[in-house]
Amino acid sequence: MAPLKSLEQDYPILDSNFQSFCASHDIFSVEDLLLHDLYVLAAFAEQESSSERLKQGITQVLSIIDGKHQPWLNGMELLEDAQRNKHVLSSGCEGIDLLLHGGLRVGQLTELVGPSSSGKTQVCLLAASNVAKKHIGSVVYLDTGNSFSPQRVTHFICQHSDPAIDQAKHRTLQKVMNNISCKSVFDIFTMFDVLHQLEFNLRSQMQGGDCKMQLLIVDSVSSMVTPILGGSGSQGHALMISAGYLLKKLAHEHNIAVLVTNHTVGGDGGISKPALGESWKSIPHVRLLLSREHGGSICNVSILKHPSMAVGKAARFMIHN
Amino acid sequence: MEVGRLPISASQRGKLIAAGYTTLSSFSSLSPSHLARDLKISDNEAAEIMRVASHSHRLDGSAAGCGTVNGAQTAWDMLHEEEMFPRITTSCMDLDNILGGGINCKEVTEIGGVPGIGKTQLGIQLAINVQIPVDYGGLGGKAIYIDTEGSFMVERALQIAEACIEDMSECGGLLRKDFQACQLKMHPNNILENIFYFRVCSYTEQIALINYLDKFISEHKDVKIVIVDSVTFHFRQDFDDMALRTRLLSGMALKLMKLAKDFSLAVVLLNQVTNKYIDGSFQLTLALGDSWSHSCTNRVILYWNGNERYAYIDKSPSLRSASAPYSVTSKGIRNSASNCKRIKMM
Repeated sequence: MAPLKSLEQDYPILDSNFQSFCASHDIFSVEDLLLHDLYVLAAFAEQESSSERLKQGITQVLSIIDGKHQPWLNGMELLEDAQRNKHVLSSGCEGIDLLLHGGLRVGQLTELVGPSSSGKTQVCLLAASNVAKKHIGSVVYLDTGNSFSPQRVTHFICQHSDPAIDQAKHRTLQKVMNNISCKSVFDIFTMFDVLHQLEFNLRSQMQGGDCKMQLLIVDSVSSMVTPILGGSGSQGHALMISAGYLLKKLAHEHNIAVLVTNHTVGGDGGISKPALGESWKSIPHVRLLLSREHGGSICNVSILKHPSMAVGKAARFMIHN
Repeated sequence: MEVGRLPISASQRGKLIAAGYTTLSSFSSLSPSHLARDLKISDNEAAEIMRVASHSHRLDGSAAGCGTVNGAQTAWDMLHEEEMFPRITTSCMDLDNILGGGINCKEVTEIGGVPGIGKTQLGIQLAINVQIPVDYGGLGGKAIYIDTEGSFMVERALQIAEACIEDMSECGGLLRKDFQACQLKMHPNNILENIFYFRVCSYTEQIALINYLDKFISEHKDVKIVIVDSVTFHFRQDFDDMALRTRLLSGMALKLMKLAKDFSLAVVLLNQVTNKYIDGSFQLTLALGDSWSHSCTNRVILYWNGNERYAYIDKSPSLRSASAPYSVTSKGIRNSASNCKRIKMM
C-alpha cells in the first residue's frame, strides 16, 4: 500500500490539500490511515474549510483498501467448488494412493519428508509420469538438485502400457513427455519469479485445451530455503512463509495439486525431524514421512499431518527397478 | 508484500518499507532520483533497485505458452539432450558399468570414503580422463582441481597421464588401420597443462573460489569437470556456529548445482567419513551432516571389503544400487585383479 502522494495520479481527489491535512496528523501512507482512528479524523476534517472534499478523500482511500481483499465465500459455494473442481490425482504409487484414499488432492499442498535416498525424488517422478499419462494434464517440475531424470520418467511411462506397435508407442511417449516441463531453480528469488509468472499465465489462459496444468512439483523446497533460514534477521523466515502461501494460493485458485519435498535433520535425542522448523509445519496440508531400509527397495510411508485422517497410519510400497 | 521478494539487501528493503513502498507497482513509475531523495540513498543505489524491480515486473507480464514457464524444457527434449553428452570414464570397467557409463555431466556427484581408499587417486584419474579426445570416446575438455588438503601430487598425475596415453595408443592401434593418419599428438605435459589447480586454505577462500568459478568458466569454456578434494576439510574443525555452517554449505551446494547445469559440466565432490549413532549402533556415514547429504545428485561410497576396494552407489535418481570392485595401480584406477568380477546387485 503506497504513500498517499503516489496515489494522486490515479485518484485526483487525493490532492495536495488532502495530503497536507493527513500529514498534519502523521499520516503519510495508506497503512498509516488504517492505523488511525477514523472517527477522530473525520471530526477534524469537519473543522477544516474544505471538509466535504476531505471526507470524500477518506472514503476514497477506504474503498481502495476494500478492493484489496479476497471475496467472501459461503459454505455452499465452497462445497460446490470442492465437488466440482477439487478432484484427486492418482500418484502412480499404490501404497500412497491407498493411504491417501485416492492420491494427491487438487487444491492441497502435499509434502514428502524423508532422509537422504528414501525415495522422495522417485515418488515425484512417478507422480509426474502418472499425471501426464493418465490424467492428461501438464506437469511443471521445479528441480533444485539436477535430479530430474528423463530416463526414469520414460521407464515409468512405458511400464504399464499395452504391448502395441512401436510407432504408436513412440508417438504416445512423445506426447506424454511433452506434457512435463522441467526447470532448474537454484535460489528462492528465482522460484518466486517462476511462480509469479506461472500465476500470471494461468490467470490469463482460457479454460479448456488439453494442456491444462494439473501438478506442480518442487524438489526440493528445503535446499532453497536452508541457505537463508536463520542467522541475523528474519527475512529468510519471511521468504519461506511467503513461498508456502504462494504455493497454496496457486493450488487453490487454479485447481492444481502441489507436491514438495523436504529433508530431515537431527533433532533432540538423535531422532530425526523434518527440516525447516516449526513455522513450516503448519503450511503443507498433508505431510508424509518416507523411509527406506538401507539397500532395500521397500519404502515405508506414514502420515505426519492430514486434514481428515489420523496421524500414524502407514503403508508400504516398492519402487520398481 | 511484494518488495519482500526482491533480491536486494536487508537495509535497502527496510528503507523501502519505512517509506511506505510495499509493492513493486508503487514505485516502479518513479524516477530513480525521486526514489533516491525519498529513501535518502545515492542515485546509483536507487537506479539499481529500480532495475531489479523492473526485471521482476517484466517477468510477470511476459506471456509464455499455456501454463508453461520461461526457460523450462520438456522431458522429451531433455531425454534427447542427454544422449549428446558422453560420460567421463573412470578407467575401471566395473565402476563405469554401475555408474551407467561413467560420471555424468550436468550432475553433482559426491564420492566419500575412509582415508586411504583412493578418493584423491580417483579425482586425479577423472581430471585426466576428461581430456581424452572426442575421437577416442572422451570429452576432450579441461579440468579444474580444487585442493583443500594439499594431497594433489604432480608426479602421480604425470604417471597416470603417461599410462593414459599408453592405453589410448594401444586402443588406437587396435581400432584404426591407418594409424599414421590419426597419430596421437598428446604428450603428458599437455595433459598437465589442461588441469587448472587451485589451493584453498580456509573456508572463506573455498566459498570465494566457488563464487568466482562462474566467471572463470565463462572465460575457459572447455572446462568439463570440477573436482573439489575435499569439500569437508575446512568445515570440520573449529566451526563454532553450526547453523552458519549449514547455511554456508547449502548455499555452496546450490552454486555448484547451478554451475553444473549452466555450463554442462560434471562436479565431483570428495568427502570424508564420520561415525554416526543410528539404530543402536555406530555406523560409518559421510561427514558434514544430514543437510549436506541432500546436496548432491549422486552419491558413491568407497569402502573396504576384506582386502579389496569396493564402490557402492548410495543415492541416485536413475541408477540402481549396486557395488563394484576396483583397484589402485601404478597406472591409476583400474579393474580389480581378482577372479570374480561379477557386479553385485543390492
